[in-house]
Amino acid sequence: MSEPRGLVERLERWGTAAENAALVILLGALMLLAVGQIVMRMFFSIGFVWADELVKLLVLWITLVASIAASRSDRHLRIDIVSHFVPEKYARFPRVIVDIFAATMCGILAWQSWRYLQLTIEFEDTVLIDVPAWIAYGLLPLAFVLMCYRFLLMSGSDLMRILRPEAGAGAPK
Amino acid sequence: MMLLSIALILLVIFGAPLFTVIAASAMLGYQKEGIDLMAIAIEVLGIAGMPMLSAIPLFTFAGYLLSESNAPQRLVRLTDALLGWMPGGLAMVSLATCALFTAFTGASGVTIIALGAILYPALKQDGYPDNFNLGLVTTSGSLGLLFAPSLPLILYGVVAEISIDNLFRAGILPGLLMLVLLSGYSLWVGRNTAKELAPFSWKELASALNAAKWELPLPIVVLGGIYSGFFAVSEAAAVTALYVFLAEVVVLREITFKDLPRVMRESMLLVGGILIILGMSLASTNYMIDAGVPQQLLAFITEFVSTQANFLILLFVFLLILGAILDIFSAIVLVVPLILPIAMQYGVNEFHLGIVFLAAMQLGYLTPPVGLNLFIASYRFDRPIMNVYAATFPFLVILAVSVLIIMYWPDLSLLLVPD
Repeated sequence: MSEPRGLVERLERWGTAAENAALVILLGALMLLAVGQIVMRMFFSIGFVWADELVKLLVLWITLVASIAASRSDRHLRIDIVSHFVPEKYARFPRVIVDIFAATMCGILAWQSWRYLQLTIEFEDTVLIDVPAWIAYGLLPLAFVLMCYRFLLMSGSDLMRILRPEAGAGAPK
Repeated sequence: MMLLSIALILLVIFGAPLFTVIAASAMLGYQKEGIDLMAIAIEVLGIAGMPMLSAIPLFTFAGYLLSESNAPQRLVRLTDALLGWMPGGLAMVSLATCALFTAFTGASGVTIIALGAILYPALKQDGYPDNFNLGLVTTSGSLGLLFAPSLPLILYGVVAEISIDNLFRAGILPGLLMLVLLSGYSLWVGRNTAKELAPFSWKELASALNAAKWELPLPIVVLGGIYSGFFAVSEAAAVTALYVFLAEVVVLREITFKDLPRVMRESMLLVGGILIILGMSLASTNYMIDAGVPQQLLAFITEFVSTQANFLILLFVFLLILGAILDIFSAIVLVVPLILPIAMQYGVNEFHLGIVFLAAMQLGYLTPPVGLNLFIASYRFDRPIMNVYAATFPFLVILAVSVLIIMYWPDLSLLLVPD
């Protein structure tokens, strides 16, 4: 009984650490690259075509990693009318349903982006002059798979708390 | 189709993440038109094709860093040294610092958390009525939205595909109008606070300036750089982020390196939430524009509304309702592509429309039942939400008046915009 729980907790810790590391690296790279571009423009009056594209790809990656992180921290933008005015006990029930919906949508999005990814491989699309595009876009299906998993987990834990309210206190938050 | 739309609306109301609902509506549209659902992946990847977008993560990060450092205290001290000697001075200090701080941190609610904690007790100590203080601090959290380089302004420029520099210029006078009206009200309320005012002191001003010496170049470089056209917005964002990092983390060491990943994560959570919605809405708005939704809307509206003045009234009411239920970022991304072509038909200038839109959405932060600032303030100052509603109401009315002025006086927005 304690083994799988230990495993889940370790996965959670590693997952958070991986998200944070990725965000630090991507944001740091974006900052340096963007400032580097200014320096190059001002002092050497040169620019690189690929630098501008890489900045945009970094923004895309930050968006995707941050979305994964936002689904872990439950910080995706929602209209939050119900939870402000309905006691927590009753607010859980709709949450189970909307999170299952969210998981389903993320599953579909993952599947569709996976199909698109294969298309870019087939057509040998490239970014940054000659890098295969799938390297840049590969994060897209992965991000949606992870968000799908996260929303399933959230609806599962909410369902557990509806079914067994007394067990809720011990559940990992 | 009708049934599915109602189901989607119900999902939104019950708190489904907005990006999933937008994705669902886009894919329903694709299904109907026989477009391969794969197209949604291409649309989301369109995030990597938008110019200036890098400004959003960079400015957000800089703003979060600033709010986690002691910069808010230094800013309050400096403005206090400048304005504190006047009657009603402290209220004006609050308004001015909050506006400046919100402009830099992007109106995400961090102003109330970072500055409210300092200003709220200070106002109380100076003898202002408690409800006034609560309302002031809550309102101040979104003041400054119209000043560069606030996130909603940048996002609006990106989505509407208009010059962000000009949008920044258009926001100056309307933003000042809001400040002036609120200051006037504060002076009126503070006219007979009993507390004796400290006289103006050059010594305190010099010392406050010295304390803030690392932050002082920031507004000058950023605003000067942007308004003079020396920096593009995305460049200014990069410089700001790097500078704030060097000043607060490397030089002043108010945020440790160990703490940095946490601050980065916190700031990027907001960015991820906004940009994933942007990605999905690229898909849904492209579909709606292909399907001619703006034209249908226009045809519908022209049946009832013929003049620009009436159109603006309708817009005002619509934006008030929109702002009360939807956060400003989602609203920009979802609604601007649809109302922009309609407003053009009524001859509304695109920069003026931008400022009107954002000013009206600013009210949304304060409009019951779900205005974001109301909840942040209720939580932060441990006051019942009804109490916050009531305390904020006079400020809401003043801001609504200023939005109407901004709406019917286009020159206020357009005076500083070059043709």
